[in-house]
Amino acid sequence: MLKQIEGSQAVADVVALCRPNVIAAYPITPQTHIVEDLALIVGQGKLDAEFVNVESEFSAASVVLGASAAGARTYTATSSQGLLLMAEVIYCIAGMRLPIVLTCANRAISAPLSIWNDQQDSMAVRDAGWIQLFAEDNQEAADLHIQAYKIAERTFLPVMVCMDGFILTHAFEPVDIPEQKEVDDFLPPFKPRHIVDPRWPRGIGLYADPRFYMETRYILHRAMEKSEKTIKEVSADFAKTFGRDSGGFIKTYKLKEADVAIVSMGSVVGTIKDLIDKLEEEGKKVGLLQICSYRPFPRQEIYNVLKDKMNIVVLEKCISLGRGGILASDIRWSFPRAEKKDRNISSFIAGLGGRNITVDDLRYMVEKVEKEPVELEFLGLKKELIADKDL
Amino acid sequence: MEKLPLGLALDLRKVVPYKTGSWRTLMPVNIMQTPPCTYSCPSGNDIRGFLRVLAEKQDYEEAWHVLTRTNPLPATCGRVCPHPCEEGCNRRDFDTPLAINSAERAVGDYGLEHNLKHKKFISKRKEKVAVVGSGPAGLSCAFHLAKRGFQVKIFEANSEPGGWMRYGIPSYRLPNYILKQEIDKILELGIELECNVKVGVNIPMDQLTRDYNAVFLGLGAQTGTSIKIPGEDAQNVFTGVDFLKRINSGQIVDLGKDVVVIGGGNTAMDCARVAKRLGANVSVFYRRTRVEMPAITAEIDEAMEERIMFRYHTNPVKIITDENRVVGLLCGQMELREPDASGRARPVPIEGSESVYPADTVIMATGQAVDYDGFEIQKRDDQWISTNEDLMTSMDGVFAGGDAVLGLETVTTAIGQGMRAASAIEDYIEGNMESRLAQPPVIYSKDLNTYYYTQEKRFSKEAVSIHTRLKNFREIYPSFNREDIIKEAGRCFSCGLCYNCGNCYMYCPDNAVKISPSTGKYEFDLDFCKGCGLCAKECPCHYIQMSLEK
Amino acid sequence: MNAKTEELDRVEKKDLFGSGHRACGGCGQALAARLVHDAAGENTIACVATGCLEVFSSPYPDPCWRIPFLHSLFENPAAVASGVEAAYKALKKGPVNIIAQAGDGSTADIGFQCISGMFERGHNVLYVCYDNEAYMNTGVQRSSFTPYGAWTSTTPMGNPTRKKNLPLIAADHGIPYVATATVDDFRDLQRKVKTALSIEGPKYIHILVPCPLGWGHPGELTVKICRLAKDTGLFPIFEIIDGKVTNVKKIPVKVPVEEYLKLQGRFRFLFKKGVPTEEVAEIQKIANQNIERFNL
Repeated sequence: MLKQIEGSQAVADVVALCRPNVIAAYPITPQTHIVEDLALIVGQGKLDAEFVNVESEFSAASVVLGASAAGARTYTATSSQGLLLMAEVIYCIAGMRLPIVLTCANRAISAPLSIWNDQQDSMAVRDAGWIQLFAEDNQEAADLHIQAYKIAERTFLPVMVCMDGFILTHAFEPVDIPEQKEVDDFLPPFKPRHIVDPRWPRGIGLYADPRFYMETRYILHRAMEKSEKTIKEVSADFAKTFGRDSGGFIKTYKLKEADVAIVSMGSVVGTIKDLIDKLEEEGKKVGLLQICSYRPFPRQEIYNVLKDKMNIVVLEKCISLGRGGILASDIRWSFPRAEKKDRNISSFIAGLGGRNITVDDLRYMVEKVEKEPVELEFLGLKKELIADKDL
Repeated sequence: MEKLPLGLALDLRKVVPYKTGSWRTLMPVNIMQTPPCTYSCPSGNDIRGFLRVLAEKQDYEEAWHVLTRTNPLPATCGRVCPHPCEEGCNRRDFDTPLAINSAERAVGDYGLEHNLKHKKFISKRKEKVAVVGSGPAGLSCAFHLAKRGFQVKIFEANSEPGGWMRYGIPSYRLPNYILKQEIDKILELGIELECNVKVGVNIPMDQLTRDYNAVFLGLGAQTGTSIKIPGEDAQNVFTGVDFLKRINSGQIVDLGKDVVVIGGGNTAMDCARVAKRLGANVSVFYRRTRVEMPAITAEIDEAMEERIMFRYHTNPVKIITDENRVVGLLCGQMELREPDASGRARPVPIEGSESVYPADTVIMATGQAVDYDGFEIQKRDDQWISTNEDLMTSMDGVFAGGDAVLGLETVTTAIGQGMRAASAIEDYIEGNMESRLAQPPVIYSKDLNTYYYTQEKRFSKEAVSIHTRLKNFREIYPSFNREDIIKEAGRCFSCGLCYNCGNCYMYCPDNAVKISPSTGKYEFDLDFCKGCGLCAKECPCHYIQMSLEK
Repeated sequence: MNAKTEELDRVEKKDLFGSGHRACGGCGQALAARLVHDAAGENTIACVATGCLEVFSSPYPDPCWRIPFLHSLFENPAAVASGVEAAYKALKKGPVNIIAQAGDGSTADIGFQCISGMFERGHNVLYVCYDNEAYMNTGVQRSSFTPYGAWTSTTPMGNPTRKKNLPLIAADHGIPYVATATVDDFRDLQRKVKTALSIEGPKYIHILVPCPLGWGHPGELTVKICRLAKDTGLFPIFEIIDGKVTNVKKIPVKVPVEEYLKLQGRFRFLFKKGVPTEEVAEIQKIANQNIERFNL
């Protein structure tokens, strides 16, 4: 049913439809509305679940870890500081192969404190072993949660659905919320493979000495690589069942004929698509590669669609301080070394701390890279605020 | 190697435990030790054994069988033994020693009341053994031989069996019917008894050595020795032995008003207390002091309670008679100097200290000797039969034990000797004089962990009032309450032997103490024991000790 | 016990925390864990914190546990146990005993937040703290449960602070059952575990577990040292039921703290050539305060 609702509400409604058994809630802007909405849903009896108001995000993750290990379908949501606080548990959950779904409402990281959107937080835990899916808009954000449970419970890898804080969470858009029956048909009940239950005693969380640890990491890495198949299958299933494309590995927009390829992920792709349309009217051929699944990283797919593109610009809302663009490095790595082509891959950092990214900013970016490749540039940097010595 | 499970989540039922037993340098071992009660007992009775049976199973019958494995006369010993076991009891260092003697009596009485029977080990062997004397040594030797299947015949000089127990110990200490029942039980093992036959006189010794594979001499020391003072031929002058024999045979002796008993041993005490019960004023004269008196402390105490007067430092010099009847006793005072050959202070007469004490009867309980009438046998100190360490005398195949060998000792000592002799006789007959098994080491209270015990009141036996006692010859201690005895037995520390307290079982951090499915006792799982020593430290009876890993 | 065979409920020993763990010989914590789990029975899920307990009991491929256990991190067994409890409630499974257990560092320091949250939310979980008075697994570093005057590797001159009193803090959260126990009185400990598991709501049991390595004593003295900790008054044994202190174990004969301190290597600096220093008097004061406060 189509509803004009806030992004957080959409996520909450859809998560409720997925029938989680245990929800752990801790407030942090900008995901708070999600857990508040879920609290109301549970409180009104529309969802039969245990709603645990924990005392920190660390406990939130620990509670869902415990609940999932006991065989429950679980959910929690967090952002920036909370995600970093629960980072220990994030790694633990992945190592234990528990199919937990978590919403990360992307937000900048302190210090300085900022509640506004960028993607530094989910980038900080990109190596943990979670599948990370980025939503373009509220509809996709909602849809990805349904897919996330299916992916997680098939691959036994936890899934983080990343949606830009405020931009998506607090925006009111028409979102099609499916019916409970549709979701039930799509998402069967959770069948755990390893739980703590006195009837079948298992030890979960043993420690591995050097004889065994490496193999566990290999297995996890390979599992992530193989999850590509599941992610694509689930996305295709979803399209068939609910009638719209959502999720998947990568998406392209007018990329085939493009001279300049813009690579990005998250809500900014909406703005990029607007620019591309405008530039098309002006006769410029620019295309978009939208990364939906950031982890596992769709290296092969990216190479396939970009191998003919000579001018690539990567736009990202995150940075690896002291090194440069994270996504840009990943893209640069997507091309085999042996290939000696004069390819330009430019890296632009934009939108940190919630800085608005306008169509004009993007136009500037495209025009710049048409002239020359850009090693690294902060888009829209206000140099007037920066002392000479800090430049 | 198994493949790694998903998320390293391991099915615990498939785990093969890691054997940490390889870590240890010390390992726990169960070492049974001899408790000091058994060590102090001349019979080597399994005191811990029968007390634990009473405490844990409340089973008097089984306790009786445990006790009578070594001691066939429990009801007797429970009345007359001076209980050196209680001196040795480790509980003495914690609160009070166990009342073992009372427990023994209760068990013995139970056996009599319920007509329990001794058990034989082996049924019939063809060898025959003769036992001379049916005192405790002879009875014990016969008992142990009969249990092993030998055919035994006892030759007793008196008209009834029992030896000194029958004719020496008065019936208020050891009632005749108790003794008779216990002796009958022993004889029920198939032992032949012939009374009124004195070996050496009625039957020559070599007939026995001819007709039997071995002979045991339990002659006792039942001849009284006098101190050789003038006037001892008068009427109413008896040796202690003679006096007691008459009384215990039912003879009536007219004692007159004042009786003087000379001597400081058990016989003297018995004579004094018998005389008192016969209505006389009794005094005991002894040339040294109470400290040097060899009688059992309890005997002296009870005699004093019974208003018997004790004169110390008093030595009789002459018996004063009138028409061959005793009228008085001339005595001199002694003073004590440095110790003499017996180890006791040497009494030296004080010049001019003599005085006369009125007396109608004088009983000289000053010494006893073996009646060697008809015997040619090597002696030690010209008094006692000399034996080697296997209790064999100078005559081959002739063994001896008891008072006749050791000098004046106790019933229990004689029983122990009889038991040793039986074992020696068996070895002799079988032709292998094997060395005796080494006894397990003795455990003393310093090695016990008494933290788990609380102080508890000791069982106390109450004698009837003095007034009642002196009226007759009945026992002065009435029967003991069986429940009280069981409670007292519960105080036993079981030194040196596990009694299933469960400390080791509960305190092992590695769960390496298991209950054996076959015996129900605790055993160590050496696959997992790390040798930390907690079990040994917390074992109250020191049964578990740590030793170096083999 | 007085040399009689006590009624040992032999079904209590089921090898649930079994043999084959890698604890030091004489480890108090291993003993406590064994006793706790034997009392709890097979229908139990253990949520364990990283620490000595976890490290010696759950290596791959041969953990010593025979009941399901869940270990995630150092500071979160209370939160993980909360999650397990919530799941069992939501899935309408159970009933099952959920025991969250951790050492003193994990409970009182880094895990304080989680345990406070669990108590406050009222989860039906038993929390057992094995108090060996330092971060033993990482090599004897000081924690907030380290007593005054003890040597640890991070307080080599003797710990200057007093032991935090977590049982009272736990009780102030309003939970229905709090108890302290030691490993020497195993009947008492097992009874307390059983009582706790029969009560709905969050429960806390604080067990003193000597560590032969960290405290500097031979493994065989573990039980004796617990006894002395009780008898000196340094570790009071009590229960707090619905906020009221009850079942205080009175000390029959009070022992001076020197008897307890001189057996342990971690207090050796308190004795100069056998003569106690003034810190010992300070410790005696602490013991006296405990005696007075709990009427031992």
